[in-house]
Amino acid sequence: MSAVARRRRRPSPLHLILIPLSLVMVSPLVWMVSLSVSTQAEARRFPPGLPSGIHWHNYVDATTQGPFGTWLANSAIVSITCVLGNVVLCSLAGYAFARIRFAGSRVLFIGVLATLMVPFQIVMLPMLIMVRSVGLTDTLGALIVPNLATPLGVFLFRQFFLALPRELEEAARIDGATRLRTLRSVLMPLMGPTIATVTVLTFLNSWNDFLWPLVAVQSPGNMTVQLGLQNFQSGHTTNWPVLMAGTVISQVPVLVLFVLAQRFFVRSVAQSGIK
Amino acid sequence: MAVLTAERRNERHARAPRRARSADHIAGWAFTSPAVLLIFLFGLVPVLWTFWLSVQDTDLTSPGTFVGSAKYRQMIHDPLFWRSARESLLYTVLFVPITLVLALPIAVLLNQRVRGMLIYRMAVYVPLVTSTVATGVIFSYLLNEQVGPVNGVLSKLGLPEGGFFQDPGQALFSVVGMTVWGWLGFAVIIYLAALQNVPPELLEAAALDGCTRFRAFLKVELPLLFPATSFLLVWLTINGLQLFDEVYVTTKGGPLHATTVLVYYLYDQALVNFDGGYAAAIGVAVFLVILLVTLVQLRIGRRMSYESEASR
Amino acid sequence: MRHPIVAGLTGLVLAAAAAACSGGSSSGSGTSTITLWHGYTDAEAKAITSLAQKWNGEHPKQQVHLIFNGGNDGALQKTLASFVSGKTPNIGYEYGSSITTLAQRHQTQDLTSLVNSTAGFNWNDFFPAERQATTVNGKIYGVPALVDNLALVYNKKLFDAKHIPYPTANWTWDDFRNAARKLADPAAKKYGWSFTNDGTEDTVWRYLALLWQAGGDLLSPDGHKSAFDSPAGLQAMQLLHDMAVTDKSVYLDTGDQQYQQLFNSGRIGMLWTGPWDLGSFDQVQYGVQFLPGKVTHATISGPDNYMLFGAGGKKQPAWAFLQWLVSPQVHLEFATATGDLPIRQSETKLPGYSAFLAKYPGNKVFMDNLTTNATKARPNIPQYPKISQVLGVAVQSVLLGKAQPQAALDSARDQIDQILAGA
Repeated sequence: MSAVARRRRRPSPLHLILIPLSLVMVSPLVWMVSLSVSTQAEARRFPPGLPSGIHWHNYVDATTQGPFGTWLANSAIVSITCVLGNVVLCSLAGYAFARIRFAGSRVLFIGVLATLMVPFQIVMLPMLIMVRSVGLTDTLGALIVPNLATPLGVFLFRQFFLALPRELEEAARIDGATRLRTLRSVLMPLMGPTIATVTVLTFLNSWNDFLWPLVAVQSPGNMTVQLGLQNFQSGHTTNWPVLMAGTVISQVPVLVLFVLAQRFFVRSVAQSGIK
Repeated sequence: MAVLTAERRNERHARAPRRARSADHIAGWAFTSPAVLLIFLFGLVPVLWTFWLSVQDTDLTSPGTFVGSAKYRQMIHDPLFWRSARESLLYTVLFVPITLVLALPIAVLLNQRVRGMLIYRMAVYVPLVTSTVATGVIFSYLLNEQVGPVNGVLSKLGLPEGGFFQDPGQALFSVVGMTVWGWLGFAVIIYLAALQNVPPELLEAAALDGCTRFRAFLKVELPLLFPATSFLLVWLTINGLQLFDEVYVTTKGGPLHATTVLVYYLYDQALVNFDGGYAAAIGVAVFLVILLVTLVQLRIGRRMSYESEASR
Repeated sequence: MRHPIVAGLTGLVLAAAAAACSGGSSSGSGTSTITLWHGYTDAEAKAITSLAQKWNGEHPKQQVHLIFNGGNDGALQKTLASFVSGKTPNIGYEYGSSITTLAQRHQTQDLTSLVNSTAGFNWNDFFPAERQATTVNGKIYGVPALVDNLALVYNKKLFDAKHIPYPTANWTWDDFRNAARKLADPAAKKYGWSFTNDGTEDTVWRYLALLWQAGGDLLSPDGHKSAFDSPAGLQAMQLLHDMAVTDKSVYLDTGDQQYQQLFNSGRIGMLWTGPWDLGSFDQVQYGVQFLPGKVTHATISGPDNYMLFGAGGKKQPAWAFLQWLVSPQVHLEFATATGDLPIRQSETKLPGYSAFLAKYPGNKVFMDNLTTNATKARPNIPQYPKISQVLGVAVQSVLLGKAQPQAALDSARDQIDQILAGA
């Protein structure tokens, strides 16, 4: 074979695995989207089939049943603030838990995790009392403050710091840098994928949180998107197409964020030069 | 060269850890306080409140009466509680390893340089954005014993059809399947990030040493994945033992209590039978189980990290 | 909202969140506002809103404020929580099954004297099944808000295709079973009948209808022991076993209500369902008939109530509005807008009734069913939710072929007797 032909890239055989895998993962979302552009009559058929046309009015209905723009803004404010809080505060804590030996670190870390170990269904009530006692009931603050630092954030950062080779830090420390400086200037710039992951996952958690906003917020003006959509779809006969349309809309920002975060996931095996 | 020096430095580290100085203690507390304070303020008090609730007889809305350990005694003699504990443990023991074992190869796959990789990554991520309600409805339909497409395909292939959510013997496994599907994306993202964090120099050094791709994976990347595995082990267990939503939208704890897991039983006690104290006692039981399992897992994780560092 | 915890915990949360949020009552010189919590959506929501507007227009000093409670599934918990937080609604729409829990709380108003002393209220104008659902220990705690019942809804075209005569009012269990068997073709994914098999009350109340048709009862007259483990109870279980396990003519719905799509697409021949489902069957030419019978053609009804909470100054205005809301002409207007059944016998004598029937042809049979066959009701005792859970599991086990009818009944009887004894 000529050199030119050899250089022409053949499609990787990995596609044979990736395609079926992707289909399995994606099918429910495809069903959701398909339902979101169906009519209610079409949703009542069996077996479920493709809609006859694209009925965009479901999307219009979903967004006009309440102050949708406000809800989106609320969700955005809450989620972005929580992400920033987590990235800053939890990176500090995660680094300390991973790399600093200090008295009580184990107990503190277990304590942080322990807050996750009682089912939320029971824990929600006293949490609300706490929020009320700091005067935040029915405000966006009630959604933000308890989640400015989350155990997930701390745990994630700790785990990623544990995997960093120590010598990077050592080199900086030997050069006289403080821990904080080392963290900021040396370690964090290397943690692109880590920060992207924490951002995506904490944003996802915050954006899709339903239960806590439901109990912490009562006024429609303070509701998040998930909460707002739910309040108008209930009862004996669920309007599935409109509900799905609303759900799809509410997931677009999360998907967009994931795509953007992929810019940090650029290192791949091929770059290391091994065949 | 730098890598070799670093390796030697690491070995020294692993063999003789530096004694912690007071500056370390201060630094440690300073760094962790903001996050820990916030988390404790809103997270720890409610946990303690649950303990208090479990020694009362209350319907959660009227003031309760103190009853000491009555609820715990009731719990110990309740066969349904033990059944729910068994279902929860069985579920978790299946859910966690299966998710881990599937997630790693997929993450490795997604770390390759293949055209259109972004699309594939998005696809794996998608279940995370599919609402629980939608997931439940879809799986209920797909696995419907009588009219679902999965059984349709199975029968066309001449294979035996499954009872899935309608069969007490299969319901829990069906829920495992559904939740593995839902959580795979999360685990894959974690592993993918961990793989991305592997310094290329280490892989280059391995290549220089003459390692094949596979051996390089075993010797370089796999050990660096221990923290990620440890994290996932703990995180998935904590979530697995608190399974609720997916059971509610599909089987409602049935059929015949086959999927009545601990938190579902707790919900039943709290909001159907109005026995708040008993529900809290179950909550405490869940807490203790998770705590115990987590401590064990962290211990193992620490031991493995220690060993992996020492052998590098 | 369909989310379960939402419902329950929203309410409980209100218990924790005290006075921070303002309630719904405004004041203005001499104007009183009463709040009504409801879970209505779609057509029902529109109808009640327009009725409230009508009332408010005519009664500027006695305003009514409607508040959507997030879904009726959580209404009970939300109401209970409001007792603690102090922000109780004046009127609440509650499931009939909630009445025993609520009747025990002091905030729930005993309406017996109001009902008896209000001129022209005509308590006996309400159907017996409804009145039964408002009464606990001889006292009246609610006013009927909704009544329904189970009837046989069938697909005419499927019957024609198999040359089966349409169900009659005298159909026996054998007629019913034979028809289901002929209509079914499991290989082609077609079934003769659908039964909701999720183990919840949705499962239990259908079994109760069968039990009553066989002449049996759930509990003894004094309510202290179970009575369903009887020949009648066995016959009812046996029929379920025969149809589901032996004939395999039954579609077992898991609670996701797939049966609606299946019926609408001509894959199920018969349903036991209520008026609320008819709106979903746009593809089917359906007929409605009494349920098949053995000793009787008993059916079961699931009435819901408006209940009054909190004593004091708001009681009179609240009662005035409620009285108006359930008055014959007003309710017929509501029924015509929504398809809900009339709650008073006198509504069927009003001139607008024929328009109602013309708009909802299936409802004629539901009405006759209500007057003729809805004679027994579920007991209003606090233990009923636990009893329902036990029975639900028993019925499920028989339908899935995991237990023999007699064994399932015996096991359920033992558990329920224990529950009743522990009261």
